[in-house]
Amino acid sequence: MIFNSPIILLFLIAVITLNYFVSPLFRSFFLLAASFAFIGYYSIESLLAVIIFAGFNFYIAKKISGNRLLYITGLLLNSYAIIMFNYFHITKHGVDFSYSFVSFNIGSFVVALGLSFYSLQNIAYLSEIYFKRFKPVKNIVEFGLYNSFFPKVISGPVMLPAEFMPQISKNTVTKEKLISGFNRFLVGVFKKIVIADRLSPAVHSIFDFGDQYSGITTIAGIYLFTIQLYFDFSGYTDMALGIGKMLGYDLKENFNFPLRSTSVSEFWRRWHISLIGWFTNYIYYPLVYRLRSYKKAAALTGIVVTFLVSGIWHGIGLTFLAWAFCHIVYLSFELMSKRFRVSLSGKVNHEIYEAISIFIVFNAVCFSNIFFRSASVEAAFQLIENSVSHFFPVNWLSGFIAPLAVGGHQVDEFNFYISLLICGSCLLFERRINKLALSTKLNVWFITIVTLLIFLFGIFNNGERFIYMQF
Amino acid sequence: MQQLTEQLQKVFRKVFMDEKLTIGPGTTAKDIKMWDSLTHLELIAAVEEEFGIKFTFSEVMQFNNVGDMMDVIRKIKNDL
Repeated sequence: MIFNSPIILLFLIAVITLNYFVSPLFRSFFLLAASFAFIGYYSIESLLAVIIFAGFNFYIAKKISGNRLLYITGLLLNSYAIIMFNYFHITKHGVDFSYSFVSFNIGSFVVALGLSFYSLQNIAYLSEIYFKRFKPVKNIVEFGLYNSFFPKVISGPVMLPAEFMPQISKNTVTKEKLISGFNRFLVGVFKKIVIADRLSPAVHSIFDFGDQYSGITTIAGIYLFTIQLYFDFSGYTDMALGIGKMLGYDLKENFNFPLRSTSVSEFWRRWHISLIGWFTNYIYYPLVYRLRSYKKAAALTGIVVTFLVSGIWHGIGLTFLAWAFCHIVYLSFELMSKRFRVSLSGKVNHEIYEAISIFIVFNAVCFSNIFFRSASVEAAFQLIENSVSHFFPVNWLSGFIAPLAVGGHQVDEFNFYISLLICGSCLLFERRINKLALSTKLNVWFITIVTLLIFLFGIFNNGERFIYMQF
Repeated sequence: MQQLTEQLQKVFRKVFMDEKLTIGPGTTAKDIKMWDSLTHLELIAAVEEEFGIKFTFSEVMQFNNVGDMMDVIRKIKNDL
């Protein structure tokens, strides 16, 4: 886990404290050094890769304006970083991969740390400069900070230079920022350790054992995965943005209550915003612009290509393609039926229409995530088949509670209900919780209660990986 | 100005299949249900056809509202 191991917590306390006292003139340098230390702690190979690519992109950007060949070379080399650091661990588990410039031992996933996100940001930087939307950064330390800033280097948010660079010279650390950053960080830890990690055993039980659970049990597991994924990743985002804030930086938001979306296209404006923003800016819009005379066919083509690339970016495998295919179908349907749905919404009661839409979208997303989570397409189809056959279990305790309420090796019914209660309440009250997370007021009760809940109900011992760290 | 607005409004009504739609300089995608990222470029293509012009990619990406679009249309037509 990235931010909640004890050593990293000590590191964070040290960096945030020192940063407050370091003169603003030296802060960029200090934070850059801290970022390198952070990356290097996880793997020296990743640090070397980051330094090399940072240097490469810094220098190439200065010469790239008007030079198409150089731009394409830059794109290809940065894309190669994604391939080099993302795919080989899936196909060559535990094998020494030595025909890159450094030899890696990929027994651990750590080597593949987030260079996929990192490379997307590098591609964004080169593109912004090539299309003359931003001028090359002159100061290598400032560029290094934008490039490798530790709260966002591993799993995003991916930020454009125009969103980050101006903040460097205006950087201040105020009491309000420290408080609101801390609140946000705390809420992120809560979401990850208390909510997401508590749901993990249930999801693992349904997805990874190929057993023939009854329909309702399987569906519960499927729903819980999407909820786990949401709290896992939005929790990471809260931690990253909280730390950034405590250091005086406003990082890009990644989530905007996505499970309340009334359409799949709205969902993609609210879920993993910085990543989808990248795909929309650099793939969807340029492509559809070129094909715009073909009207709807252009948009459909854009949808297909964008999601195919997104699927492949997440991983080589039929499951990711199947996941992408689901969303291609959903968005194509929405595009073709837009007129009908707009007029329908005008005729039906607004709240009912919204509630039904939210329910449908949630189910559509959960369905696509069956493929996202399953080890193989066969396993996914097995799960789908299980959802609709033998819908009710013969025995509720052994057929519904036991598979889901797995705590360690024994059925832990009480704890399962606690998990459901916590995640249910947090979903219901997420707007209010978000307000507390962003508050600049020091609320000792809030901090005490959340910390207590983290220690009472948090999962500390199973080392469950943060899901998006594998990308 | 009025003529431009009316001509543009005709295009909006056709693309978004709503004969009662009205637009003004301040109109944005938030004001029109049918207008989102999936339909935006279809609208652009139809506007280009109607006025016999071509927008550049950066112009298209920088439109914040209908007023921006009208300004660019006027600029292109004046330059022609």
